[in-house]
Amino acid sequence: MDDDRLTGACRPIRSEERIVRQGSDRNGRTKAVASLFLLCPFLVSCSGIQSALDPAGREAADVATLFFTMLLGGAIIWAGVVGLLFYAARKRRVHSEKNAGRLILWGGAVFPSVVLLALLSYAAWLMPNVRPWFQGADGGMRRIEVTGEQFWWRVRYLDAGGAVAFETANEVRVPVGERVVFSLKSPDVIHSFWIPVLGGKMDMIPGRENRLTLQAEKPGTYRGVCAEFCGTSHALMAFTVHAMQPQDYEAWLLARRASSGVQDAEGLALFLKHGCAACHTVAGTEAQGKIGPDLTAFGERGSAGAGTLANEVEHVARFLRDPGRIKPGAKMPHFTMLPEAETDRIAAYLTGLK
Amino acid sequence: MKSFIPREVETLWTLFTAPVVWALHFAACYATVAVFCAKRLPASFSFDSVRIVLFVVTLMALGVIVFAAWLAWRQWGFGDDDPPHNEPTRDSRLLFQGFATLLLSGLSFLAVVYAAVPLMFIAECQP
Amino acid sequence: MTVELGNFSPEERAAQEERLRKVWETPKGLRYWTSVNNSEIGLWYGVTAFVFMLFAGLLGLLMRLQLVVPENDFISAELFNQAFTLHGTVMMFLFAVPIFEAVAIFLLPSMLGARELPFPRLSAFGFWSFLLGGVFVCGSIFFNAAPNAGWFMYPPLATDHEYAGIGADIWLLGLSFIEVASIAAAVEIIVGIMKCRAPGMRINMMPMFAWYLLIVAGMILFAFPPLIAGDILFEMERMFNWPFFDATRGGDPLLWQHLFWIFGHPEVYIIFLPAIALMAMIVPTFSQRPIVGYSWIVLAAVGTGFLSFGLWVHHMFTTGLPQISLAFFSAASEAVAIPTGVQIFVFIATMLAGRVIFSVPMLFGAGGLIIFVIGGLTGVMVALVPFDWQAHDTYFIVAHLHYVLIGGMLFPVVAGIYYYFPFVTGKTLSDAWGKVSFWLMFIGFNVAFFPMHFSGLRGMPRRVFTYPADIGWDWFNLISTIGAFIFAAGVATFVIDILRPKPKPKERNLNPWNSGTLEWTNDPSESWGMRSVPIITSRYPLWDQPNLQADIEAGRFYLPDAKSGKRETLVTSVLDAKPIQCMRVGGVSYVPIIAALALGGVFIALTFHWWIATIISAVITFIAIIWWLWTGTAQIPEMPETDVGLGLKLPIYVSGPASVGWWAMFITMVGDGTAFASLIFGYFFYWTIHSDFTGAGPGPGVFWPMAALVLYLLAWVLTLLARQLNEKGSLGAQAALVAAVIISLAASAAGLAGPYFSGMDPTANVYPATVWIVAIWTVTHGVVGAIMQLYCLARSLAGRMTAEYDQDIRNVTLYWHFMAFTAVVTFAVIGLFPLVAS
Repeated sequence: MDDDRLTGACRPIRSEERIVRQGSDRNGRTKAVASLFLLCPFLVSCSGIQSALDPAGREAADVATLFFTMLLGGAIIWAGVVGLLFYAARKRRVHSEKNAGRLILWGGAVFPSVVLLALLSYAAWLMPNVRPWFQGADGGMRRIEVTGEQFWWRVRYLDAGGAVAFETANEVRVPVGERVVFSLKSPDVIHSFWIPVLGGKMDMIPGRENRLTLQAEKPGTYRGVCAEFCGTSHALMAFTVHAMQPQDYEAWLLARRASSGVQDAEGLALFLKHGCAACHTVAGTEAQGKIGPDLTAFGERGSAGAGTLANEVEHVARFLRDPGRIKPGAKMPHFTMLPEAETDRIAAYLTGLK
Repeated sequence: MKSFIPREVETLWTLFTAPVVWALHFAACYATVAVFCAKRLPASFSFDSVRIVLFVVTLMALGVIVFAAWLAWRQWGFGDDDPPHNEPTRDSRLLFQGFATLLLSGLSFLAVVYAAVPLMFIAECQP
Repeated sequence: MTVELGNFSPEERAAQEERLRKVWETPKGLRYWTSVNNSEIGLWYGVTAFVFMLFAGLLGLLMRLQLVVPENDFISAELFNQAFTLHGTVMMFLFAVPIFEAVAIFLLPSMLGARELPFPRLSAFGFWSFLLGGVFVCGSIFFNAAPNAGWFMYPPLATDHEYAGIGADIWLLGLSFIEVASIAAAVEIIVGIMKCRAPGMRINMMPMFAWYLLIVAGMILFAFPPLIAGDILFEMERMFNWPFFDATRGGDPLLWQHLFWIFGHPEVYIIFLPAIALMAMIVPTFSQRPIVGYSWIVLAAVGTGFLSFGLWVHHMFTTGLPQISLAFFSAASEAVAIPTGVQIFVFIATMLAGRVIFSVPMLFGAGGLIIFVIGGLTGVMVALVPFDWQAHDTYFIVAHLHYVLIGGMLFPVVAGIYYYFPFVTGKTLSDAWGKVSFWLMFIGFNVAFFPMHFSGLRGMPRRVFTYPADIGWDWFNLISTIGAFIFAAGVATFVIDILRPKPKPKERNLNPWNSGTLEWTNDPSESWGMRSVPIITSRYPLWDQPNLQADIEAGRFYLPDAKSGKRETLVTSVLDAKPIQCMRVGGVSYVPIIAALALGGVFIALTFHWWIATIISAVITFIAIIWWLWTGTAQIPEMPETDVGLGLKLPIYVSGPASVGWWAMFITMVGDGTAFASLIFGYFFYWTIHSDFTGAGPGPGVFWPMAALVLYLLAWVLTLLARQLNEKGSLGAQAALVAAVIISLAASAAGLAGPYFSGMDPTANVYPATVWIVAIWTVTHGVVGAIMQLYCLARSLAGRMTAEYDQDIRNVTLYWHFMAFTAVVTFAVIGLFPLVAS
């Protein structure tokens, strides 16, 4: 049973409790039902850490406006067509063939042609506006390289020269008010990088490097996911997004470069003893494995297991004892042969890394 | 011209003239841009020149479609015989062909114009 | 056309009917399954497709149950992934396309006033292939071996042996087999509509259904071959490690996406248009008037057919292609909404100008339309690139596609089943049951799928087997699941209505809806179709041609008799439907079943890598097909002309462009050419993405490709010469054929010699793999061409092909025109293009 799996990356609460709590929260339920019936887009229920209709970035904001406009237009057109259909079925008077023919010409051909031409022109104009050209070598924009792997995200922050400043995993931090370039890659299968609150998605395709620029406008903690089916645990491949004030962001960059993994020598020793370092890196220690996610400052992250579990000792311990049970198809081997005390100790070490 | 293009066409294929022009125009736009953006060769040849070339191709395609439409209009007797063209005669069948071809030319014309819209707004190869 | 109608005494009529009945008789007992009659094949096809639909529907319910609450563990991730892959695959390949083939095979002959489609055994072959392939694909889930990489099968996930095991091979081979059957059906339908209409049914008189089906069959011809080409590349990678989609060796996963969606988007319209065609038959009947805007429908069908080929990249808007490329496809995707709008307004206009009777078929039709318009509007939204960047691969798309397919296809098909049920069985379905079923389906559908628009925009991606609790998707999913079960209850009601025993109607009423089109003259209890083939002077002959029904049944028109003891139907000219031939079509036979089973054996054995079984099955297939052709086609008749009634004498045997066989060859080769063009597209695709597309390895050189080219052209010239000599009755034809066979085989050897002698290793890099695959394609066609030349030689020696009766050599010559073109392109590209490119 994976009932205690948790995927709400930003709200580290055991899911089971969460369900129970929701069940008892009558007020919340009523609100949810009410908002559904009043059509989500016009109400609070559009909001969410992963909602394209609750934008926190420029592209998402423009697209949400476009959607609401089209929704309104579409509703009117739909009502018109259905109204006509009802009228045609129920009318008393039979209309002449000539008038009916005119309806085809104007209603079926001319009207859609004009509306569609206008929409198409707007969208064609919007495309380079929401995703502007980079001038030359990215125009000095900040670059983050994200690699989709089955089923987690390798995130590398690049410095101005394009060299890797440091690596992390399953968490992306961006400054607000500044356009950031994401270089998107994949070593295994096709993934798709999507932060709905900031903008549209872009695929990560083996053998290609795709670029996506996004600009966050509203500070906050959000959630991104893999949008292209990538294998057994495609559903469990999410990440946390922090949009930060520029000065906080700079401070974080500095702190992150300096973080060391030797904060708990005993935990580190166990970590190294059981071979974790073969795959994982913890900066400032001997652990320099490159196969799995970098675990430096792991304790800072909003979630464990790529948005699958709350980042708490018990969950992390459970994950590293048997990753395949929580995340089917995950490449990490199980460690059920270790004494629980030791896995708990390693988990405590990891969640303590700042 | 009259001697080259008979007033009445005894084939089903003329129906498809205008859509085929659309298809060729579309393929030309797609292939040109795809090869240009992938190859970036020669460097002196800018994307704006590609757009101009494709604009000219668009005008040519529209010209051919208008010509096909005019032929169809003529076959339809310049519009003086309204549908439904459902008499069991060869004449009625010809009128039907003319009218249907005219309609398809209209649609193809629009579709070619639509395909040219991106050329106006998008000025770079970038994804 | 003014002719004196025939007049027969009751005794003569009884004798005629006796003979007709005997000729068209459906065999009894086990031999029933050897029947090739369109009414049997159509029915089997339809029932089978429908059963597959119910199966895929159950898989859908399984998925909805898993997603009913967050973090559910009702089914495992592995099973969920197999379920959604199979759900999509079965719905698209085993239901949506085959059901229209079924309806077409069943209805077209009666609608067009033909006794039978031109190639009944080919229909039977298609059905048996479909059944075998379908069972093979569906059955895999019971062995936990179903395909699990999505119905789109994107590599590298689907080429990963560890993840996508035998399931991927089952998908590729099982569906390739079914695609072959679809192309066979397309050939049948195109030739049937163009050449087998009743006299007088000019192209402006054709039932709307026939117009749509003609376009759809044409689309199949251009849409399916790219997928077949893709399947070949894919299977070569899986089986022999040729790196077409492996980025580490120069391949590119995107090529598959191009080939798949060049098929995949027209596919949507291939599904949608026939359903709308059914509506175009139903709406005039219940509006009690001819359709308004006949030409507009033709515009819509043809326009959609063309534009649908300019949409495929809108499935790839997030792959990082240049914005300008995306925008071209966005433009075409918007443009295609125009003919679709026209279609809907034609129906509304027809209703406006008529007196509408609201029956169950109309209920389903109108309900479908209301749903479909929503799908169309969201389609316009997702066709806009910036919006699609957000909506792509989310539940918004799931909602959109189900609104389009269920509103645009399932509801009209159910309407069509209610409408045509009396035509098939002579009994009617219940109004009450129909209404219950409709409301359950309509409400259930909307409850299930409307919330998905919002769960999608709130960030829920597709193809997730679970989702977290606190993101705000819970309620939407719960409601969707409830709706799905209401919808399923509606479908179940409909199935029960079909299956429940129904009383025989008290009086014989062949046309219960008072429809105007020709098919309603048929008596479902007789298997001859039309009693006699009438002369048509109206789009709605039953409304406008007085006494038509009685005259047809009295045998007063063409072909009232079957004196020859052979199954006969009329062939007419394309535009004006003037009678030109009395064609004999194939009757009851084991050959199609044997050929289909053997061909199925080839594909199944390949899946499991049983090489010996593959070879044995292939040999049996080959023998069966040759036997089929030898005994069933181009038979020299006992007399050159026959009396078809009304004082008209028509030839029994025609050859060249006048014959249906020539058209079938032409159409097949157009499809074949499309697959070839897709491979060539692949060659140039790799050229565009690499700076040195040869991967610095050896090429095939210039000498061998040029040698092959010259030899193939020589073989082509010899084939032409053989045809000329045969026409003159000269025995030189046989000599020319012998020479042609030898040269063809030599050319084929030369074709492979280039890549072979330059040591091109197809597993090393994508360049040698591409050169090999193009060369193998052409050489295979060359060898088939040689077999055809040999076949003509044998026919000539056996006296089955003479100067007068020369169908065989004329069709083979046509094949060789295409072959020569293929050879020129192939060897110019692989031999000369590397020189130009460097």
